[in-house]
Amino acid sequence: MTRVILGLSLRQLVAQRRTLLLVLLAALPVALAVLFRVTGGSLEENPDFAAGIMAHFIVALVLPLTALVVGTAALGQELEDGTIVYLVAKPLPRWQVVLAKIGAAWIVTATLIASSVLLVGLVLFVGQEGASQVPAFMVAVVLGALGYTALFVALSIRFSRALIIGLAYVFVWESLLSQFIAGVRFLSVGSYTVSIADALADSPSRLVDGALSGVNAAVLLAALTALATWYAMRRLAAYQISERV
Amino acid sequence: MTQATPDTKDTKDTKDTQDAGRAGAPDSASSIYDLGYRRYEGERLGRRHAISALYVESLRGAFGLGRSAGAKVAPAVLIGIALFPAVVQLLIGALVPGDAELILASEYYGIITYVLALYAAAVAPDIAGRDQRNRSLTLYFSRAISRTDYALGKLGAMVTAMLMITLLPQVLLFVGNALSTQDFGGYLAEEWDLVAPIIGSAVLGSLLIASIGVLVAAQMPHRAFATVGIIVAFILPVVIAGIMVNEIDTAATRYAIFLSPLDLVEGATAWIFRVEPDAFATPGRAGHALWLYAVASVAWTAVASALLVRRYRTVQA
Repeated sequence: MTRVILGLSLRQLVAQRRTLLLVLLAALPVALAVLFRVTGGSLEENPDFAAGIMAHFIVALVLPLTALVVGTAALGQELEDGTIVYLVAKPLPRWQVVLAKIGAAWIVTATLIASSVLLVGLVLFVGQEGASQVPAFMVAVVLGALGYTALFVALSIRFSRALIIGLAYVFVWESLLSQFIAGVRFLSVGSYTVSIADALADSPSRLVDGALSGVNAAVLLAALTALATWYAMRRLAAYQISERV
Repeated sequence: MTQATPDTKDTKDTKDTQDAGRAGAPDSASSIYDLGYRRYEGERLGRRHAISALYVESLRGAFGLGRSAGAKVAPAVLIGIALFPAVVQLLIGALVPGDAELILASEYYGIITYVLALYAAAVAPDIAGRDQRNRSLTLYFSRAISRTDYALGKLGAMVTAMLMITLLPQVLLFVGNALSTQDFGGYLAEEWDLVAPIIGSAVLGSLLIASIGVLVAAQMPHRAFATVGIIVAFILPVVIAGIMVNEIDTAATRYAIFLSPLDLVEGATAWIFRVEPDAFATPGRAGHALWLYAVASVAWTAVASALLVRRYRTVQA
C-alpha cells in the first residue's frame, strides 16, 4: 500500500508543469560548465571552478529551490485540495503516508540534482584529474535533498504558506544571515551538504571555506531529518478529517 | 393579468413616476420597474483621484497597513536587516574616535543587494497580482481609470515602496554620520554633494527593481509562486553573471552582467557616485565603462514597464 502511494505521488510530482521548469533550472549549471569548456577554460588554470559551481550554484540555489517546490507540493497540495482525506481514510498507518510522501519528494529532487552534478562533472572532468569531488558531491546532494524535503514536507503540514516560509528559511537564513553570522552554518542544510561533500572528496585542500567536519555535518543532518520526519508524522496523525471534502 | 399590475401600482407611485418621467412624457408602464435604487448624488472625483487612491491603497497594502499583523512582518524585518549595516557604522562612529567610515554610501547597495531582492519578492505580490487573485480586477477596470492608469499606479506604488528600503538606510547613515561628528553644520557643508548621488542612485535602483518585480508578480496571480518567481528573477542572474564574469571570464561572457539587474544597480551606483566599484564584485570584475550600467538600468526599466502596461492591457479582467 505504501508503495502504491509512493508511485502515485511520484506520478503527481513528475506530471506537473513546474517540474519542467525545475529540469531547466537543473540544466543551467550544466550549460555553464559546457560554456566553460567551450571557451577554453581548464581546471588546471582554474582549479576551484568545479567546486565553485557545485557549491555556490547547485547546492546553494538549485537544490533548495527544487526541494522547496517539490517538498511543499508533495503533501501540501493534497492538504490544499482536500484529497488528503482519501489517503488518511485508508486502513494504513498515517506515518506510512508521510514516509511515502517524503520518499517521493526525495526521489524526484535527488534524481534531478544528482544528474545535474553528474553531468557538470562529466563535462568538466573528462580528460582531467581530481574527479573524486563529483561522486562526493553526488552523495552529498542526495543526502542534502533528504534533509530539505523532510523539512519542507513537515513545514507544509504545519503551515498553509509553507512555500513562503521555506523560501524565507533558504534565502534569509541560509543565504543572507550566514554572510553576517558564522554560527548559522551549524543550522543550515546547505552547509551540511557542502561539508559532507568536502569530507568525502579526496582533495588535499578544503573545497569550500568554513565547512563543518564531515561527522558533525552528517550527524546534524540526520538529526534534522529525523526530527522533521517525526514532526510531520505527529502532525498528520493528529490531522482531523473535517466536513469539508 | 400582466397588464393589470402597472395600473394598480400607478396610483400608489404617482410621485415616483413623475420623478422618473422628468426627461419627457411620463411613461407609466415603466414605473413598476423603478425599484427605488438610490442614485449617487455626491461629487464625482474622477480619474486622477481614482489613480491616487489606487496608489495609496497599494502602498499601504505593501507594508501590511490595514491588514493583519502577519502581513507587516516580512517588509518590517527586511527593512530592519537593510538598516543593519548603517546601524553598525553609526555604532563604530560612536565608539571609535576619529573618522572611521567603514560603510560608505556608494557601497551600500552592494552590501544589501540580496535584501533588496527579497524585499521586492515580499512586497510586489501584494501590490500586483492581489486583484487578480481576488477576481476584483474587473471592478477596477469598470471605474474611471484606464488599464494603463492601473498599471502605472501599481508601478508607482512599488517604486515608492522600494524607495523606503533604498533611501531610508542612506538617510540614516548620512544624518547619523553628521550627528556623530562634533561639527554638524560643517559635516553637512562638506558632504552636501553626496545628497544628489544618494537620491539619484536610490531612484534609479528602485525603478529597476520595482519594474521587474511588479512585472513578474503581474504574470503570476498565485502569491507564493510570484514570490519564488521574483527571487529567481533576481538571484539566478546574479549567480550566472558571477560565474560567467568571474570564472569563465572571456570578453564575450563578461557581457552577461547586463542580464543581472542587481549587478546593474551596483555598477550604476558606482557611476553615479563617481567611484570605482569593488574590485572583487562582479561589476568591478566585468570592467565595462560604468555609464553603461546606468544606461542598461534605464533600458531594462523601460522594457519592464512597457511589458507591464501591455500585460494589463491584455489580461482578462
